[in-house]
Amino acid sequence: MVSASVVPHNPVASSAPFTVLIADDDRINRMVLHAMLKKDGHTVYVAENGHEAVTLFEQHQPDLVLMDVMMPYMDGYEATSRIKALTGERFVPVIFLTAMTDAQALVHCVECGGDDFLHKPYKHAILKAKIAALERVRQLYTTLQSQKNALASHHRRLQREYEVAEKLFSTIVHPGCLDAPHLKYLLSPMSIFNGDLLLAARKPAGGLHIMLGDFTGHGLPAAVGAMPVADIFYAMTAKGYAISDIVAEVNQKLKAILPTGVFCAAALLDLDATYSQLTIWNGGLPDVLVCQPSGGPLRRLCSQHLPLGVVDNTRLDRSVEVIEVMPGERVYAYTDGVIEASAPTGEMFSQPRLEVYLTQDCAPEQVFETVCDGLTTFRAGGPQRDDLTLIEITCDAGLANHTSPEATTSYVAKAPACWHMAFALDAMTLRTLDPLPQIMQMLMALQGLHAHRERLYTILAELFANALEHGLLGLDSALKHTPQGFVAYYTAREQSLAALEHGCINIALTHTAMGTAGQLTLRIEDSGPGFAYQRCQPDLAANTTHSGRGIPLVRALCQTLTYHGAGNCVEAVYVWSQGETNVSQHEP
Amino acid sequence: MALVTRTSLDGKVVTIDISGRFDFSIHREFRQVYEQDQGTTQYLINLRQTEYMDSSALGMLLLLREHAGGDRANIKIMHCQPEVKKILTIANFHHLFCLD
Repeated sequence: MVSASVVPHNPVASSAPFTVLIADDDRINRMVLHAMLKKDGHTVYVAENGHEAVTLFEQHQPDLVLMDVMMPYMDGYEATSRIKALTGERFVPVIFLTAMTDAQALVHCVECGGDDFLHKPYKHAILKAKIAALERVRQLYTTLQSQKNALASHHRRLQREYEVAEKLFSTIVHPGCLDAPHLKYLLSPMSIFNGDLLLAARKPAGGLHIMLGDFTGHGLPAAVGAMPVADIFYAMTAKGYAISDIVAEVNQKLKAILPTGVFCAAALLDLDATYSQLTIWNGGLPDVLVCQPSGGPLRRLCSQHLPLGVVDNTRLDRSVEVIEVMPGERVYAYTDGVIEASAPTGEMFSQPRLEVYLTQDCAPEQVFETVCDGLTTFRAGGPQRDDLTLIEITCDAGLANHTSPEATTSYVAKAPACWHMAFALDAMTLRTLDPLPQIMQMLMALQGLHAHRERLYTILAELFANALEHGLLGLDSALKHTPQGFVAYYTAREQSLAALEHGCINIALTHTAMGTAGQLTLRIEDSGPGFAYQRCQPDLAANTTHSGRGIPLVRALCQTLTYHGAGNCVEAVYVWSQGETNVSQHEP
Repeated sequence: MALVTRTSLDGKVVTIDISGRFDFSIHREFRQVYEQDQGTTQYLINLRQTEYMDSSALGMLLLLREHAGGDRANIKIMHCQPEVKKILTIANFHHLFCLD
């Protein structure tokens, strides 16, 4: 029954020959059409009824169908419906050739998927014109389809590249110790890449550094700048640098790499080992807020500086603010995405609303969740216009002492050796440089005492601070007994140090080997008048004041701690053994 | 029009009025203003009608400042609404621009 006559197309007759399926139960009609199309160079298949038409269509996937309506076995309507269901994403025009003239029948032709119709008897020229017109539509459709496919595959490729880049990005800009129990945070980037930056790292001598940054714009261009910043932040924190040093280094880097007009509003926070002192540098972020556990007014740490990457380091103000914090107080830092988050009405979340949430009457440990829920409810699923970040830091030394896996690195100490190094630091050096990170670097390079790093840093830092603040600058730590005095103390420290003209501090480190053990002697001598060390409170546990904890703490970490001369020279002996991390520590 | 520019008769002072939102959507117009200018010695940025500005607007101001000579630039930001003023203050832009 199936009589298909395949005519090889003649490339000369038409510029774009295609394959045509003819379905007609009238033999004469079929012959006429066949001859005409063949003459034009097209390949032609011929079916005698609807059923056969569908079969041939499946086999040969023609580009065009000419369909009679009234046919045995299956009529043209049914055959067209089936053919259209088979075409998928391809556009195959179907032209009805019919003797019927009533409107309803013609409407039905289009309803079941027909694209055009022609009354019998028709003029050949008209049929050819219709075929040409539909062929143009078909080509347009094909072009559109291939563009759509190209776009989709391009999109899939980009998505894959993004995912790989994102993995790389999050390895470099890793969250550090953000999982610590006294930290809660909300990160809500607009796209895969976050233009906000949130980093946290433990300091070598205990305590915490946190950095929150917000780059101009969002998405990939904003996120690229985050990579060098994270690198600098983690490396410098691990080496014991202060946040003002990190600020300067990051600023210099960003000024060099970011184009004008792109910058990073940022706040760097430093919580000391006892979680009683907060040091902050805020350049361009909204007020950092400190909340009391019992409610009551908020303390504000306003932006005092230009954002990072705007001016070069000669014009950068790296001065920090120091405040005393009480146990249980909570510190909130956030990017403007939080206060500018908008409701579907266009209204912004706003700073006052945030502060209402922070001061409301609810359990302190639930405040963070309440703020997040409030923010979600307020936005009500509306579009997000900026990256959005919020962090809560609870000043609780108990929680802070929790050690995370990231702290246990497997550095191996080098076999004990004998060496000596000494530094003589004059007033100018002391004004401009914090020597401790460099000394710690050399100590680690020489002896590899990474497991002892925090204790050694504490000893060195406490003794150096005493030599500088009491020995050379003549500051009285009794000042620190009140919260106001606490701030005054650090203001005075900054001013006196900037004005320091004379004096020096000598630091000597001597290491001797005792079999598999090593003994490190740290000697620090300042040119100041000394002090009555004999009356020094030796008991750390009995001391609950804000100051004077330094020396008893050092005493607890060392084998011996002795003062010499007028009290302007101190010697600490620290003993360590390979394979052990805390030989030197005796119970206080 | 969110951005309207006026130039003084001698061509030395260019005033830019920005109304509505001062954000990335007007960066093209904003850049055209100073790229076309010849011999301008002072820019006045009038923010009386500005309801909101974002960090990309701060970036555009920095670009203008660089174009106008960096530290030698004479740029005055005028008539800020409280919300806009706050954004400029948080960014400490009074160190770089003359704010009234």
